Amino acid sequence: MAYKNQYAILTKGLTKQYGQALAVNGLDLSIEPGRFYGLLGPNGAGKSTTIHMLTTMTSASSGEAWISGREVKRYPVQTRAAVGLVFQDSALDRMMTVDENLQFAAALYNLNKQQAEQRISELLSVFGLEKKRHQKLVALSGGQRRAVDIARGVLHKPQVLFLDEPTIGLDLPNRRAIWRFIEQLRKDEGMTVFLTTHYLEEAEACDHVDFIQKGQLQKGGAPKKLIKNLAAYMLEIDCADTEMVSQQMRPQFGEPLWEDQHLTYRIQDKETDFYRLQKTLGNAVNAMQWRKPNLNDVYLWTVCPPDYGVVT
Amino acid sequence: MTHMLAVKAVVARELTKVFRQRARLISAMVRPMIWLLVIGSGVGSMLQGEQQAGYLSFLVPGIVAMTLLFAALLSALTLVYDKEFGVMRMMLIAPIPHYLIVIAKLIAAAITAMVQAILLLVILTVMGLIDVQVALWLLLPALATAVCCAAIGGLIAAWSKTLDNFAVIMNFFIFPVFFLSGALYPVNQLPDMLKYVVLINPFSYGVDLMKHVVPTANSDFSIMTDITVLVVFSVMAISIACWRFSRESVHEPLFHRATGKK
Repeated sequence: MAYKNQYAILTKGLTKQYGQALAVNGLDLSIEPGRFYGLLGPNGAGKSTTIHMLTTMTSASSGEAWISGREVKRYPVQTRAAVGLVFQDSALDRMMTVDENLQFAAALYNLNKQQAEQRISELLSVFGLEKKRHQKLVALSGGQRRAVDIARGVLHKPQVLFLDEPTIGLDLPNRRAIWRFIEQLRKDEGMTVFLTTHYLEEAEACDHVDFIQKGQLQKGGAPKKLIKNLAAYMLEIDCADTEMVSQQMRPQFGEPLWEDQHLTYRIQDKETDFYRLQKTLGNAVNAMQWRKPNLNDVYLWTVCPPDYGVVT
Repeated sequence: MTHMLAVKAVVARELTKVFRQRARLISAMVRPMIWLLVIGSGVGSMLQGEQQAGYLSFLVPGIVAMTLLFAALLSALTLVYDKEFGVMRMMLIAPIPHYLIVIAKLIAAAITAMVQAILLLVILTVMGLIDVQVALWLLLPALATAVCCAAIGGLIAAWSKTLDNFAVIMNFFIFPVFFLSGALYPVNQLPDMLKYVVLINPFSYGVDLMKHVVPTANSDFSIMTDITVLVVFSVMAISIACWRFSRESVHEPLFHRATGKK
């Protein structure tokens, strides 16, 4: 069983069934320590259920999971000691102060007064919240509350930190700030981070991403590599007669992603002459733009059209 | 015990919250006084001279028990309250067995109930309804009753998924448990049907145990019976509540609602 210790997270055929519905279907994951892993997918794809199974918040219907070599099902308390979980919405007590909340959480993690004091000061200074320490949570902004939530999740220096949509509902500056904190924590403490998000651009910092849809995992890879492998350029065309334009395009560019009057093509050839193409299509198009691909494109081309298969 | 700190923290959080809400403490004192004065004097006025004074002191154990019942049940309600407001997840994700959350909450419920009972006993002593010695002797049976009431609360809370649900159950439990307990009248004189209900109500035995201490109140059962019923019921109820709470299916609605799915 030694090899199970090599992984921060290891699952074999992990499945969760609610009645007839398969929320997560036969998940196989192997994530090495210190990695920044992203599980991406639409709402209701099974991301949160996966996290809840890995953190003992719900039990798997079948399959097995290990966190840092511990069998999750058999050792729930030890598993919880090894993981930190930042829930999608706050788990903090709004009527208590930042300090009271964190002191309470610290005691739940069996940190004594002195350890708690030191750790809370340390984390609040990372998050720039020292001044808010003795304020009630209701007095904090959404971004600050989220930061306190994350601080709560890492008080006990977990080996694996689960972040379930950590930036959901936050505005852009706050989302950026939260990501800086997470990056800082990863650098300082070397913890494995398991992230779910549907803001895909945020997942580009991950070492590895996989996609999940309707409980089914689709293997991804390193975001940079996925993006590079997807295409050299993405070409978007707005046109009235999509049928005609797509026919014209097919021999050279293959099949597009089709959304109403909007066609998106993967362009593999770096030397493609877009100006000539523009001339050829002429009045048939309303708008046309080409750009570098990003993780959103990988996601769309991987998860959405079943007939396009898995991007390698 | 490695989880001592966590249990202490849950208890301390509860007590901090209770004592911050002064209004709740005061209203907890007003309720029994109203009962004592309104019911005591009202019903008492139908009785003749000597019995009238007797009825007031007969009510003392019942009134103390009522305070314990309300305080312990409301405190056990925080098990549901914390689920409703998401704070429960902070405890569920902590590296402690989940049954300890129930134990800690019920310890807090019993302590809260005892604090209110002690306050009430001080008031009753000052009013001259009982003497100091009786008040002190009442502490032990009050503690047994507090634990029993916390156990009832734990049992109800373990089965309630939302606060509304709990409110309904409170009305279906708290009043019947109180009225059908011998807190307001002697059990022996009740009609058979009612008497059986009183006999299966564990709270009756807490009230009765306190009646043993108050000289003017006649008890219905032996001290041994009272203690046995209270201990057996409390142990069983707390065990069932712990077992029930440890089953994750109890919390699944919490996570599904929290994540806005299913």
